Amino acid sequence: MARMKFICDSERCIECNGCVTACKNEHEVPWGVNRRRVVTLNDGVPGERSVSVACMHCSDAPCMAVCPVNCFYRTEEGVVLHDKDTCIGCGYCSYACPFGAPQFPAAGTFGVRGKMDKCTFCAGGPEDHGSQAEFEKYGRNRLAEGKLPACAEMCSTKALLAGDGDVVADIFRNRVLKRGKGAEVWGWGTAYGSRQAGQPQGQKS
Amino acid sequence: MLLTKKSGAAHGVARVNGESRSPFIHSLQRGLSHALPTMDRRAFLRRSGLGVGVGIAAGSLTLVKKAKAASANGPAVGTGKIEVKRTVCTHCSVGCAIDAVVENGVWVRQEPVFDSPINLGAHCAKGAAIREHGHGEFRLRYPMKLVDGKYQRISWDQALNEIAGRIQEIRKASGPDAIYWIGSSKHSNEQSYLMRKFVSLFGSNNCDHQARICHSTTVSGVANTWGYGAMTNSYNDMQNSKAALYIGSNAAEAHPVSMLHMLHAKENGTKMIVCDPRFTRTAAKADQYIRFRSGTDIPVLFGILYHVFKNGWEDKKYINDRVYGMDKVREDVLAKWTPDKVFEASGVPEEALYKAAETMAKNRPSTIVWCMGQTQHSIGNAMVRASCILQLALGNVGVSGGGANIFRGHDNVQGATDIGPNPDSLPGYYGITEGSWRHYATVWGVDYDWIKGRFASPAMMSKPGITVSRWIDGVLEKNEVIDQDPNLRAVVYWGHAPNSQSRGAEMKRAMDKLDLLVVVDPYPSATAAMAAMPGKPEDQNPNRAVYLLPAATQFETSGSVTASNRSIQWREKVIEPLWESRSDHMIMYQLAEKLGFGKELVKNYKMQKVKGMDEPVPEDILREVNKSNWTIGYTGQSPERLKAHMKLMAHFDVKSLRAKGSVKDPETGYDIQGDFFGLPWPCWGTPELKHPGTHVLYNPSLPVMEGGGCFRANFGVEKDGVNLLAEDGSHPQGSEITTGYPEIDHVFVKKLGWWGELTPAEQALAEGKNWKTDLSGGLIRVAMKNHGVYPFGNAKARAIVWNFPDGIPQHREPIYSTRPDLVAKYPTHDDKKAFWRLPTLYKTLQQKNLQDKVHEKFPLILSSGRLTEYEGGGDETRSNPWLAELQQEAFVEINPKAAAERNIRNGDRVWLKTPTGAQLNVQALVTERVGPDTCWMPFHFAGRWMGTDMLPYYPSGAAPVVRGEAVNTATTYGYDSVTMMQETKTTICNVEKVA
Amino acid sequence: QAPAQQGQSAATQPAKPVVDDPAPGQQPGGIQGQNIFDVKPEVKRDASNDPGYMDQTNGQRNAVQPGNNAPMWRDVQRGMAGYSSLPRSQAPEAGVLIQAPVQYPGSRMTTAGEAWRQVRNNWLIPYGGALILISIVALLIFWFARGPIGHNEAVGGGGRRIERFTPFERAAHWTNAIAFVVLGISGIVMAFGKFFLLPIIGGTLFGYFTYLLKNLHNFFGPLFAVSLLIVIITFIKDEFPRKGDMGWLAKAGGVFSKSGEEPPTHRFNAGEKVVFWIAVVLLGIVTVGSGLVLDKLIPSMDYLRSTMQQAHMVHAVAAILMICLIGFHIYLGTVGVRGAYRAMREGYVDEAWAREHHAYWHEDIQAGKIPAQRSTQQGAPLTEPVRTA
Ligand SMILES: Nc1nc2c(c(=O)[nH]1)N[C@H]1C(S)=C(S)[C@@H](COP(=O)(O)OP(=O)(O)OC[C@H]3O[C@@H](n4cnc5c(=O)[nH]c(N)nc54)[C@H](O)[C@@H]3O)O[C@H]1N2
Ligand SMILES: Nc1nc2c(c(=O)[nH]1)N[C@H]1C(S)=C(S)[C@@H](COP(=O)(O)OP(=O)(O)OC[C@H]3O[C@@H](n4cnc5c(=O)[nH]c(N)nc54)[C@H](O)[C@@H]3O)O[C@H]1N2
Ligand code: HEM
Ligand code: HEM
Ligand code: SF4
Ligand code: SF4
Ligand code: SF4
Ligand code: SF4
Ligand code: SF4
Ligand SMILES: [Mo]
Repeated sequence: MARMKFICDSERCIECNGCVTACKNEHEVPWGVNRRRVVTLNDGVPGERSVSVACMHCSDAPCMAVCPVNCFYRTEEGVVLHDKDTCIGCGYCSYACPFGAPQFPAAGTFGVRGKMDKCTFCAGGPEDHGSQAEFEKYGRNRLAEGKLPACAEMCSTKALLAGDGDVVADIFRNRVLKRGKGAEVWGWGTAYGSRQAGQPQGQKS
Repeated sequence: MLLTKKSGAAHGVARVNGESRSPFIHSLQRGLSHALPTMDRRAFLRRSGLGVGVGIAAGSLTLVKKAKAASANGPAVGTGKIEVKRTVCTHCSVGCAIDAVVENGVWVRQEPVFDSPINLGAHCAKGAAIREHGHGEFRLRYPMKLVDGKYQRISWDQALNEIAGRIQEIRKASGPDAIYWIGSSKHSNEQSYLMRKFVSLFGSNNCDHQARICHSTTVSGVANTWGYGAMTNSYNDMQNSKAALYIGSNAAEAHPVSMLHMLHAKENGTKMIVCDPRFTRTAAKADQYIRFRSGTDIPVLFGILYHVFKNGWEDKKYINDRVYGMDKVREDVLAKWTPDKVFEASGVPEEALYKAAETMAKNRPSTIVWCMGQTQHSIGNAMVRASCILQLALGNVGVSGGGANIFRGHDNVQGATDIGPNPDSLPGYYGITEGSWRHYATVWGVDYDWIKGRFASPAMMSKPGITVSRWIDGVLEKNEVIDQDPNLRAVVYWGHAPNSQSRGAEMKRAMDKLDLLVVVDPYPSATAAMAAMPGKPEDQNPNRAVYLLPAATQFETSGSVTASNRSIQWREKVIEPLWESRSDHMIMYQLAEKLGFGKELVKNYKMQKVKGMDEPVPEDILREVNKSNWTIGYTGQSPERLKAHMKLMAHFDVKSLRAKGSVKDPETGYDIQGDFFGLPWPCWGTPELKHPGTHVLYNPSLPVMEGGGCFRANFGVEKDGVNLLAEDGSHPQGSEITTGYPEIDHVFVKKLGWWGELTPAEQALAEGKNWKTDLSGGLIRVAMKNHGVYPFGNAKARAIVWNFPDGIPQHREPIYSTRPDLVAKYPTHDDKKAFWRLPTLYKTLQQKNLQDKVHEKFPLILSSGRLTEYEGGGDETRSNPWLAELQQEAFVEINPKAAAERNIRNGDRVWLKTPTGAQLNVQALVTERVGPDTCWMPFHFAGRWMGTDMLPYYPSGAAPVVRGEAVNTATTYGYDSVTMMQETKTTICNVEKVA
Repeated sequence: QAPAQQGQSAATQPAKPVVDDPAPGQQPGGIQGQNIFDVKPEVKRDASNDPGYMDQTNGQRNAVQPGNNAPMWRDVQRGMAGYSSLPRSQAPEAGVLIQAPVQYPGSRMTTAGEAWRQVRNNWLIPYGGALILISIVALLIFWFARGPIGHNEAVGGGGRRIERFTPFERAAHWTNAIAFVVLGISGIVMAFGKFFLLPIIGGTLFGYFTYLLKNLHNFFGPLFAVSLLIVIITFIKDEFPRKGDMGWLAKAGGVFSKSGEEPPTHRFNAGEKVVFWIAVVLLGIVTVGSGLVLDKLIPSMDYLRSTMQQAHMVHAVAAILMICLIGFHIYLGTVGVRGAYRAMREGYVDEAWAREHHAYWHEDIQAGKIPAQRSTQQGAPLTEPVRTA
């Protein structure tokens, strides 16, 4: 089975936030919740690079390991999803996630957060594919429609690649070989460990 | 208007939920019919669950290796009517295509159009968030009138009657020139064309649109150099460039999807140079970045050219064959722009420019890209010509991979410039001379003398109108000094924001003095708030009337739009106009009816019913454009051809934009073979001639019938005894005439013995005409098809534009400069008395500034420009929460050194003060992006005025999500010496920490 | 297809960190960026001989070795915050691509989130859980071995009634106690529920249940904080060490003495005082403090992830210890000591009870140093003799 991954090519990303609004639009994500965000390093000085980041759907996902109610699960494609019915909004996943992916709709008093929301790799959630309940809780299920994540599909420079780890790695490799530089794939080490694409999930918890 | 169609909407809900009409659905239905008039669309979508299953039902993309089959028994798979409408992003000139998924009349999703050769599915933040227009939560919903400082809802009838009544009153008392019409680059081609026609039939040239404050200097500078004021090549063609020099363009933020092509090219070895006072996101991608002082483009460009000449890198044959005046320019450059002088003026060291010159010369074809960094100066016209000259010297123009890639602004600013409301020309750059008026009188089917009678006087008919950059002076100046009888008394903002014009503080006064202010806009909020905000009592006109009319967006109508590369795309109507909004052409028609010239306006158009009212059919308007705009080849792009292109996008090559073989539109049978995508103008002759459009302008390596060409003969055949026509052998491939030649007319054709090749019908129309006025298109057909000859002649490009204030571009310091030493060396022009009907200051103001030592009080350069997330004045984009969340605060970029001197830390609130007396309360963004002498502000904000929130003055419910200080509240005086472009890229300021 | 699925094809195989630019000093665990191909950045040999090579910024490095972004990735790895246009107030850490590496006690040196996960999952949960279990087992053993302390006769002996706790003291104590129980149970379910409860009641029910408890926890925390403060203030004056405490301790409260005689103490015995100072005051304040941070109730504080992680670890440690110690207190306050519960419920004890458990206190009352009735309002009389277990 394909192992879904993201690559953000920092040599291409121009911090246009297309990916961010594509996601908001597709899933009607409310104000305050940013499933994806763009970070610029060395902003305004030579060497500036931007990277778009969302949930990386880690192999040995820290979020999953710390969740008190075990609401995370992994799909056959390696997508890390969660069940909002079970989520208690404790925030632990956000403490554990290296990438700051988990988001909460409310920053209410008494630490009340509401149910966690994060990038689903446009793969919905535990509800029936394409159902209304799924849309309301998790947004669209593009994978089930045979489409790729909205953010990557609309990326203005095709810096953001999403899909089968092998395929995106191939596309990226072609670019790298052509320009002969910039082979760094951001976040893969952290997200997928030194084991590589396609491997089953990690055992550690 | 879907939401008030109670039965329809409720029906949709019932259907989506299947047969089971549960009690819940029942109550939902009842609830809906109660809530409908006020219920917002987004909530409606969410609650009804409309469109949830759409993707699965209509999904067609299979990019995933293995797509999982959709679960067949998904309970709420939409069974409503699902349609996919192809449209084009309305934000910038890149022209990204979008597929809008519409279910039961509601825009529920948007999908990328991977087939589009322009954007391949890619979008920046604005395009990816465009569906918000389908909700339009913060739009104006109904006509409104300002009563006692508050906006009140009124009916359309009342609004149109009162507005028309006022206009007639003013017209009667002060003549047609007392009313100023500000059209829009947001309008479709059809609407902009109709707007110019509307103003013409109203009897005035007092109209303008955004191009004035955008690329007017480019248009006139470039057109006067080689023929047309437009991007010569395309974003796609930049993939063929070996080097690219961006100077004054921040494409990564302003034309993000253009970077798709450039970054791809870079991977294939293209060298990228960026010259900009700021280290922009574009600069971050460059191989070489050159920082220079704002306003010194000529020293920089000529500093590069100096090395080109010094090293003999210029293309001597090309210059000899195709360029006039380069020798004089050479002398001038070598004498004036030695590296020390360049360094003194711009701060760029010799090595940097040498390296840039070498890169450009040794990696040909090389291209140049410019945008607002060059245009928005009091010498903008000269700056852009300096860029042209560099490209001409390198032999890069008329070459695939070369050219002057002038990135245009708004989605249809190119189209609106070409055929829209310009104060000095009729559609298609037909001047406002009698000949042109007669041409259009014929096309419009109205009597020339009738039109003449509509004007204040025949003289006013050929006098260019006031520009949008200066309408405020049309109101404020003393009547004796302005070059028309009345002052302006009424202004109609028809798709233009107020915070985009400079001198905002004075604009507020002008707005208060008006008798009538009408805003026709989906998001009129900035103008509305500014008008409702209390001003100085002495400026207030007690009889002023202010009206807001809700215009439909381009997604609620259909029409064509011209992208920066001159490709024309057709937008399908996505949804019916929301709430009470009406399309611009419908409003134009209705207002014309009330003003008594409705019949004349729509004589050639059929009407269609929209929401039960008559609306001119856009296709018919386009056909009228096709019949009249021979000058720039807007004649071949029939609605049928354009629609075929939209459907068959997948069959155009991304690099060459050419159709990859023969494919037929299943509906009309039209075959796109040979066409360039979107039939980039000039697409010569009638649609039947089947000219493919012109991808690369002035390109002699192709036959004319395949999009080849040459420079335009528009400036005579010789100048002071020097030949202006192209030298022998320099002609479009396959041309029967191999020498230079002037433009063709009936005499020329007859002389060559080709007259007989015209059909008798053509002969009847072409007799006594030239290629521009021959309504049959016969002259063009015969010249091009039969003889491979270009209609507008074959001449040299002009390195010297002798009819401009500086024939050879000269550096002149801005009116407000921080460098008195350089003002002395490079002073500005002399004042002008009646320039676009207004007195215009140059030297006296610059000298006064020098004497008053304003540079001591305001030691920082103030520049302004764009953020990816917002567009223009920003009312639309700041009303889109998906975008607004990403930029919540107006800010000023300031260098750490300048900040430290002022004890300012990142994130502090500061006052930005300018010599106008205005002060802006903004956040400081301390960054090395700008140099120590420069500050920079995004210009998209409005809604705060020198520290106060304008929220109370907005029409209720129509305030944008994010409000902030507009830089133009504080910008200063200064206008281009040819086009009246405002000087917004270089003025001066000081910044203080808010105590 | 198999090999392609299993891993990267040959060219994309094992991940290596950028080799030409090892970070000086210790390389934090976990490779953040990864060169997934055998394409190395263009390395100009002479460039890396530059003495300042390792100190180059990304811009400087790019100038000499285009495409070599090692300095930047190294900074990112260190948790360098980049720019994000989201306002700080809304998303304070939006600019952080990856959490900075730290080493929490018990974790490896790795990204903070991962380190926290290690502390929580490898230490707090197993050992904390074990500690709680051990405490429960210990109490059970103690119960079976020793049974309740004190004599039944002392409880309802019909002697003079002495007011041990005023209504105010009792109200404060019980509010505090109830809050504690709710917090403790909800906390335990949050921390350990998935091991003992989830398998029994299933994910959905467990989710709803825990959601409820979690929110209760959030709201009871502040209640606990306030009542704790009152409890501390009201009891503190009698909790300072006094005559007899050492003796009491030395004899371990007489619990193991054959006679079962309790050494004399003042109002509270040394055991209670130890619990008071350690569990109530120290752990209480730490738990409450860290809990308030987790509740985001401390004004003008930046609730960054690192703050939350640290607060959580402190909270969890303190809470677990507190659960164990207060568990002991609860044991003694309910079934462990005859008559104690009643004292706290009704406020009065029998003179005999006072004499048996708090001899010095009883002496003071008899001497009139402490009034037998402190509250103005009459407490409920000891109507029927209550049988305590
Ligand atoms: N996101 C977004 N995209 C847009 C628009 C928008 O509003 N928002 N608007 C559209 C429109 S209308 C237009 S016209 C284009 C404009 O597109 P651009 O012109 O590319 O954008 P700007 O930011 O106005 O200016 C470009 C650069 O000019 C630099 N500059 C300032 N002073 C000088 C100078 O003296 N010389 C030179 N050479 N450069 C200077 C600025 O630092 C800035 O980086 O963008 C279009 N696209
Ligand atoms: N300081 C400073 N000032 C500048 C610039 C700068 O760089 N610095 N740039 C200048 C440039 S290049 C430009 S182009 C201008 C841009 O400035 P504007 O063009 O004034 O800004 P927009 O907000 O894009 O204005 C377009 C208006 O049209 C409305 N609109 C959209 N679609 C339609 C439609 O279909 N019908 C109607 N009737 N209305 C519609 C929108 O709601 C919006 O109010 O700003 C100029 N001003
Ligand atoms: C002022 C008092 C308290 C406050 C504000 C508070 C708050 C919190 C918060 C916010 C959490 C994190 C989970 C969440 O987000 O809800 C938490 C966890 C926890 N709390 Fe408290 N708490 C308080 C007192 C207590 C007390 C007294 C105990 C002990 C009985 C306790 C035991 C726990 C436990 C066991 C956890 C779970 C730790 C884990 O899951 O690893 N808390 N508390
Ligand atoms: C169900 C839970 C609890 C029960 C059944 C309980 C029971 C009791 C009883 C019976 C007494 C009286 C002992 C005596 O007369 O000497 C007492 C005293 C006291 N309790 Fe509790 N208690 C509980 C929880 C708590 C908690 C959560 C705290 C504080 C964190 C607390 C703090 C105190 C204090 C400070 C005293 C005063 C004497 C002392 O220091 O032990 N109790 N409790
Ligand atoms: S990126 Fe964060 S949220 Fe996503 S799987 Fe990894 S740890 Fe979990
Ligand atoms: S917030 Fe929800 S998903 Fe995250 S750890 Fe807590 S329960 Fe699990
Ligand atoms: S994959 Fe889908 S959910 Fe995730 S960031 Fe992209 S668009 Fe949003
Ligand atoms: S859309 Fe692409 S280029 Fe734009 S910010 Fe996102 S990843 Fe970067
Ligand atoms: S704003 Fe311009 S670049 Fe962005 S999606 Fe629209 S057309 Fe494309
Ligand atoms: Mo523009």
